[in-house]
Amino acid sequence: MGHWWIKHGLSTTLICIAISAAWFLEQTGVAPLTEIYYFLVSPFLSKQQLILEDKLTNARILELEQRIAELEQQNQQLQKFLDYSQNQQQPIINAPIIGRSADRWWQQVTLGKGKNDGIEQGFIVTGIGGLVGRVIQVTPHTSRVLLISDANSRVGAVVSRSRHLGFIQGGSYQTVVMRFFTKVADVRPGDTIATSHLSRLYPSGFPLGKVKSVNVNSGEALEAEIELTAPLNLLEWVLVHPFTPKLEPTSETLLPLN
Amino acid sequence: MSMPSNILKLLNGLVIILSVALCSMLLLLRLPGMELLGIGPNWLLIWVVSWSIKRTVWQGLLAGVTLGLIHDGMTAVYPSHILSLVLVGVLTASLRRQLYIQEDFISVALIVFFMVVVAETALAIQYSLMYVRPLREIWQDYQRIAIASATLSSLWAPALYYPLNQWWTNLRKLEK
Repeated sequence: MGHWWIKHGLSTTLICIAISAAWFLEQTGVAPLTEIYYFLVSPFLSKQQLILEDKLTNARILELEQRIAELEQQNQQLQKFLDYSQNQQQPIINAPIIGRSADRWWQQVTLGKGKNDGIEQGFIVTGIGGLVGRVIQVTPHTSRVLLISDANSRVGAVVSRSRHLGFIQGGSYQTVVMRFFTKVADVRPGDTIATSHLSRLYPSGFPLGKVKSVNVNSGEALEAEIELTAPLNLLEWVLVHPFTPKLEPTSETLLPLN
Repeated sequence: MSMPSNILKLLNGLVIILSVALCSMLLLLRLPGMELLGIGPNWLLIWVVSWSIKRTVWQGLLAGVTLGLIHDGMTAVYPSHILSLVLVGVLTASLRRQLYIQEDFISVALIVFFMVVVAETALAIQYSLMYVRPLREIWQDYQRIAIASATLSSLWAPALYYPLNQWWTNLRKLEK
């Protein structure tokens, strides 16, 4: 034993340290690495893009805010009649995309803002065009987003025109498949799709995409190919909306994701 | 043990830690020329191949477990990268022993190419055992991912293999 230890003690200790360090990284979702990555990458983020994007999004936000203000006023008046109490609205966070998926089988992005900016797990991410995904992990300066185009991601969806329900599941980057709960549904190419009120991980009413084609002869349920309106692989900046999921993802609703 | 040998060991540890950290961070980055069909090179796999090529099967296996854990932390626990990277480490180490492969860039690039295919196959099999997607879709994805990733990884392999291998060769000489 003593002889063996003198010969192999050091290497055994080193192996143990290496594996436990890797295990620690795995458990924390490589948080220390993404933090370092953030500090290395952040000086190279072009400010030009930020300013332009800011102007564009600010203009769009202003427009929407005005419309919301208008609607809110109407709503408030109506709610006064109904004696309704309204929840406190939290601000929307603007965040840059600093990293793409670490593996080709997953579709995730890393954002350059995290816990310090108020982002929490379960928050909803949108881009110009519509829904992008949801935050699945946060570190002090970064957060990881599971895109709706990921095969492991399922979003409850509704056809805006006919209110037929189903869910979308990711596949390739820009097109996803919507599976309806019924065999017959009123859906046509060009129909817009939004998140449904049945979705537990996403708030209802966020725009998702447009119907590209309807696949009638596919076994049990009706399927439609949806083209996402948010250009997921071109986006550089996104908006993070505060949201508390109605249900923590379990094996039933979502596949194991850390 | 003399002082210089201790310092060398420390330096080697530093090189190992820094190169692994660099590889993991490169996975998140998409630069022009580093992307094909939205897919980047598999840097951690290139690292495992560079490490295992002149080491024993056991060392290859341990590198596979360690880097597999890190890669899992960056994506999800299942399907796990541990199995695929362990396969890569073990196969690369035994290839070297059995075939006495020449040490040049082309053979390293070739090894990386086939190892990516092996690793992606291991992932695709795990994926299809999850029963969340139709097999047909997984098969389509597998073909696209395996070809693009294998091509890019093998092209970028020398960029990592050369400096690491140079360092380890010089280290062995110095230690003797």
